[in-house]
Amino acid sequence: MNIRRWTVTLLAAFVALLTIAPLLWMLSVSFMARGEASQFPPPLLPSDPGLDNYRMLFGTFGIGRFLLNSLLISTLATALALLFTIPAGYAFAKLRFKGRDATFRLLVAALVVPGQIGMLPLFLELKAMGLVNSYAGALVPWLAGIFGIFLVRQYCLSIPDEMLEAARIDGASEAQILRRIVLPILTPIIVTLALFVFLGSWNDFMWPLIILADQDLYTLPVALAAMSRQHVQDNELMMAGAVVTTLPVLILFLALQRFYLSGLLTGSVKG
Amino acid sequence: MAGLSIHDARKSFDTTEVLKGVSIDVADGEFTVIVGPSGCGKSTLLRAVAGLEELTGGSIVIGDRDVTSLPPSERGIAMVFQSYALYPHLTVRENMAFGLRIANAAKAEIDAAVRRAAEILNIEALLDRKPAELSGGQRQRVAIGRAIVRQPQIFLFDEPLSNLDADLRVRMRYEFASLHRQLGTTTLYVTHDQVEAMTLADRIIVLRDGRIEQVGTPRELYARPANIFVAQFLGTPRMNVLPATIGTDGRATLEDGRSIALPPLAAALTAGTPLSIGIRPEDIAIGDAPDALPFTIRFIERLGGLATLHLGGREGGEAIACQLRDDGSLDEGDTVLASLPPAHLHLFGADGQALGTTGE
Repeated sequence: MNIRRWTVTLLAAFVALLTIAPLLWMLSVSFMARGEASQFPPPLLPSDPGLDNYRMLFGTFGIGRFLLNSLLISTLATALALLFTIPAGYAFAKLRFKGRDATFRLLVAALVVPGQIGMLPLFLELKAMGLVNSYAGALVPWLAGIFGIFLVRQYCLSIPDEMLEAARIDGASEAQILRRIVLPILTPIIVTLALFVFLGSWNDFMWPLIILADQDLYTLPVALAAMSRQHVQDNELMMAGAVVTTLPVLILFLALQRFYLSGLLTGSVKG
Repeated sequence: MAGLSIHDARKSFDTTEVLKGVSIDVADGEFTVIVGPSGCGKSTLLRAVAGLEELTGGSIVIGDRDVTSLPPSERGIAMVFQSYALYPHLTVRENMAFGLRIANAAKAEIDAAVRRAAEILNIEALLDRKPAELSGGQRQRVAIGRAIVRQPQIFLFDEPLSNLDADLRVRMRYEFASLHRQLGTTTLYVTHDQVEAMTLADRIIVLRDGRIEQVGTPRELYARPANIFVAQFLGTPRMNVLPATIGTDGRATLEDGRSIALPPLAAALTAGTPLSIGIRPEDIAIGDAPDALPFTIRFIERLGGLATLHLGGREGGEAIACQLRDDGSLDEGDTVLASLPPAHLHLFGADGQALGTTGE
């Protein structure tokens, strides 16, 4: 038994090391002097750690602006996605209305269509609405993700009807039931969904690249890609850019990990 | 407080008719129990009174108000659910105060109402706990407390004891009875458990397939069941029902060919009329008597003080249950003399309806 436990622990530690090693090296390279990482064999640690790359990023390249763009778009995308998907998921699970199940089946069927297929029509539609090259245009695909609606619906199904009926007898309106009874119960799944949307919109490259033409509106991944075209040899600078891109979401994920895991597990464990 | 009047309640789900014209009058302050097997429509009826199901036809009047189309919160009812339906993220105090909070009641009023309900139910010490920290019985008490706080005209209970273990169920049954005595609120209580119905009710309504089979006090229903269904639904072990035919001598001939005497009301029946004879297990007399018949004890269920004998007559005859004080003298395989006293017989026609009864 003990040997088995040790084996599992060692194996897990090895996999964890494999996963974290590139991230650590990325951090290490970001503090190296220009060209140091391109030596062979590549050094693990900087010989003379410095913040030159970061100075250049924030000074010359003005990455702060892109960081703010990303933060703004991801935060708004998350807030709006929660605003639309939670009531929708709840309604699909718990409210009775005509065509509910048929509509939901149609939505779930649409999940199998790759997002890229919808990009061109969506672009043309937004162009007609005058939303190309704006934050609003970058936000649209995140507003009411089918996966989010599905996630919320599945979780809501585990809430007993009797609890909602008790609230109805207590005189609560449907909006009050959602706000005062359902939302607190949904906390784990809301955190999970928020993380999904925030990470997804933060890392998204394709859609912002298509919809945002003005460089001032660029998000971090798009700005970084543009930068890498000019500085293809400058690994240390690119790694510093990657750190700036990765770090905020990594911190966010670690901070909310507890809720995230319970959100993923609860639905399956609950009767 | 107020009375409740349901007139010709009908409810269909798609093509399935669950309530087929139910009319009930519950007097002010009365404890009425609706009892029936699973799927008989009793919960649907209760939910219709609560406003959680819309009736397909008929009307519901509480006090002198027609509430048929009012939302649940405006009907003056409070409901206790089988699963308790407490809000898991709120404390006991917040659970009980929820309705008043929604109604924007003053804080002092809310506190007073919660305190009063908590005192009645002896749960003052639990007020700051969350439902997950409570036992089943305590949760049930909180659910009742939440109902009391609303000061309803009518309490609705939907199988409130079904999730509790046997011991706690007995205790809560007693508490329900004393709570009703204390508050005197009109109560409609749904259960499939005939013991709950018999012990709690002022009046019982027996429901089957969306129709009322009989309404009456527990004693009336037990002593004078209107049909075989009610006769066998109430009482444990259930009433024995033996198919028989009226003989030329005015006695009944059982399936195994033996004959027994009938009460005077059978005199009106002509020879050859088929009927069913019902007798409660505790009404069968063991011992020598003029009309006693020999039976073999096929099986004995010993319950401590009481024993239930399953008696077999001749080949082909149905076994009948007989309950008596257990003195340990009888064993399986023994032959005993048993008589079915005419005074305790219930007679049912071929349609299952009672012909009348002499028993009490």
